[in-house]
Amino acid sequence: MIGFTAPFALWALPLAGLPLLTRWLRSSSVPRLDLRPAEGVSRAVDRGLTAAGVIALAALIMGLAGPYLRGGSLPYRGMGTNLVLLIDRSSSMDDTFAGRAPDGTDESKAAAARRILQDFIAGRPDDRIGIAAFSTAPLQVLPMTTSRSAIAAAITAQSERGLSQTDVGRGLALAMQMTRDASAMGSRAVVLVSDGAAVIAPEVQDLVRELALEQQVNLYWLYLRTEGARSIFDPGAPGEADSPQTRPERHLHLLLQRLGITYRAFEAESPEAVAQAVAEIGTLESRPILTERSLPRRDLAWLCFLAAALAAALLTAARALERPFAPRRPAPLVRQP
Amino acid sequence: MRVRVILPAIAAILAGMAMIGPGLTRPQRLTDALVVVDITRSMNTRDMEGGSRLDYARRALTDWIATRPCGSRIGLALFTERRSLTLFEPVEICADFASIKGAMDGLDWRMAWEGDSMIQKGLDHALRRAGGLGVPLIFVTDGQEAPPLPYSGAARFAGDSPGGLILGVGGDQPAPIPKFDDLGREAGFYEPGDVQHAPARLGAPPPDAAQRPGWHPRNNPYGESDLDGSEHLSALRAEYLADLAAERGLGFLRLSDGPAAIDRALAVHAPGKTVPATRSLSPPLAAAALVLLLTLWVIGGRRVSLTRQDIT
Repeated sequence: MIGFTAPFALWALPLAGLPLLTRWLRSSSVPRLDLRPAEGVSRAVDRGLTAAGVIALAALIMGLAGPYLRGGSLPYRGMGTNLVLLIDRSSSMDDTFAGRAPDGTDESKAAAARRILQDFIAGRPDDRIGIAAFSTAPLQVLPMTTSRSAIAAAITAQSERGLSQTDVGRGLALAMQMTRDASAMGSRAVVLVSDGAAVIAPEVQDLVRELALEQQVNLYWLYLRTEGARSIFDPGAPGEADSPQTRPERHLHLLLQRLGITYRAFEAESPEAVAQAVAEIGTLESRPILTERSLPRRDLAWLCFLAAALAAALLTAARALERPFAPRRPAPLVRQP
Repeated sequence: MRVRVILPAIAAILAGMAMIGPGLTRPQRLTDALVVVDITRSMNTRDMEGGSRLDYARRALTDWIATRPCGSRIGLALFTERRSLTLFEPVEICADFASIKGAMDGLDWRMAWEGDSMIQKGLDHALRRAGGLGVPLIFVTDGQEAPPLPYSGAARFAGDSPGGLILGVGGDQPAPIPKFDDLGREAGFYEPGDVQHAPARLGAPPPDAAQRPGWHPRNNPYGESDLDGSEHLSALRAEYLADLAAERGLGFLRLSDGPAAIDRALAVHAPGKTVPATRSLSPPLAAAALVLLLTLWVIGGRRVSLTRQDIT
């Protein structure tokens, strides 16, 4: 697919027909004995010169129009997945794993998660990645893309102070909707990074259930457990209150288990545990994926100019080899008295 | 050598040079920006070419970014409540245009985590954020403060301004603001009773408060004459935004002024960085070769004829 940067220049193309109307070499209306007869070779040279003239003019005009080969994307098979990162932006993510404000020695949960995710993404060139965040409302941060620079910029930007509450249900629904944009071949995965959960309204639960079945995503929950918080795997002592209100994280875990899709929860109490869990997600999510590599557009004007230069050189050579006419006027046929 | 040979040789050399493509290097000004888009309810008002202000802003900003030179970087953030939230830090616009456009198209009023629209606080937060990123700010809003500012007006700005622009979007005629129900379905427009009209009861009361009905020095120092208003309608608060911009070293213009006007204003109000840009000399060289060759062909058509007078 060829495009032109200045297509209006192509209007000048009829000018390239000029060599058809005129001659390049000298011509004379007087017949001469030392001219070559009009046989095969001389006709070929004549037409060749006309063709060279047409080519030179046409190539220059085409080159001025700026032809280029359109860029695009080249599909190829890689190893990776269609991944949506769903990041918790509630303000508790700004605390450390010990539940305190970061004091320089310990990094906050959000900072640790960002650093580890950046490393994770840098090591997986074939993933298509989208990013969503949630707080009181779900936010689509970056639609699915293969551009590493955009992904890195979006993850770095999550270093801002967090927002207010945690509404994980609608965040999950948004992330699953974003996987609709996934490539046809390849698995879809949602990685939920959060340090807590909240009660999910029944209608949002239904929505998440429907979307999970529709999209068949693999769901991973990276639960950044603050020191002292109860484990999501702990069923609790007999007789202890076990309701979504008292233990929202455990009940989110139970909901996700019942979705009927591949689901794994990782509990991490330290940056090292987060890195370990992310590495495990990486090995689980290495499957063939049809993704694309973008091709830049390529300039073709130099080819036109090359053709023009060669044709003009040919014309120059023809003129250099051209035999001049007799330096003086022929003597009159009849001597003057 | 003869002119007959030298001139086509020059044309061939010009075409050859056009192929090699020498370039003139000259400094080009590039301006990065953090674009902050207001997504509060008043941005849903449909008074921009029949569409909502947010739709118009998304389209106009995408068009503007598409006209910027490659190498400029754009970050995207949204504003609601009293702060901005950065979606991504500035990225190069040519390589990541699809991502910028996708994220821009995804901007929606439903992203708002709270309904307040404290423009001045949000603007100052965005200025600090842009300053932290080291890029100028472009703040796109209609200037509707909700709830209204107290009588003392907007707070003064303290700090270093990274420069930039406030782009106003919205019509000059007050228009009704659409209202949405819990499930996001549109349910009519905001009525006078739905919104707060009185300026916030903070700071000093107005000097004529003592003459107002219902005034009481201890129990009601602001009086009751300001409880009605037209805050349920929204128009572009151009003067207010221009004041905010002037105090913070920003420029103010309307988004509908077009990409060229925005570029000019940005050049005035935001520090740019200069990078060497190469401008190819191929087109002028090729044009010279073309003109030369055409002339030669036209002249060549002249027959070298020995005229009758010569012969006889």
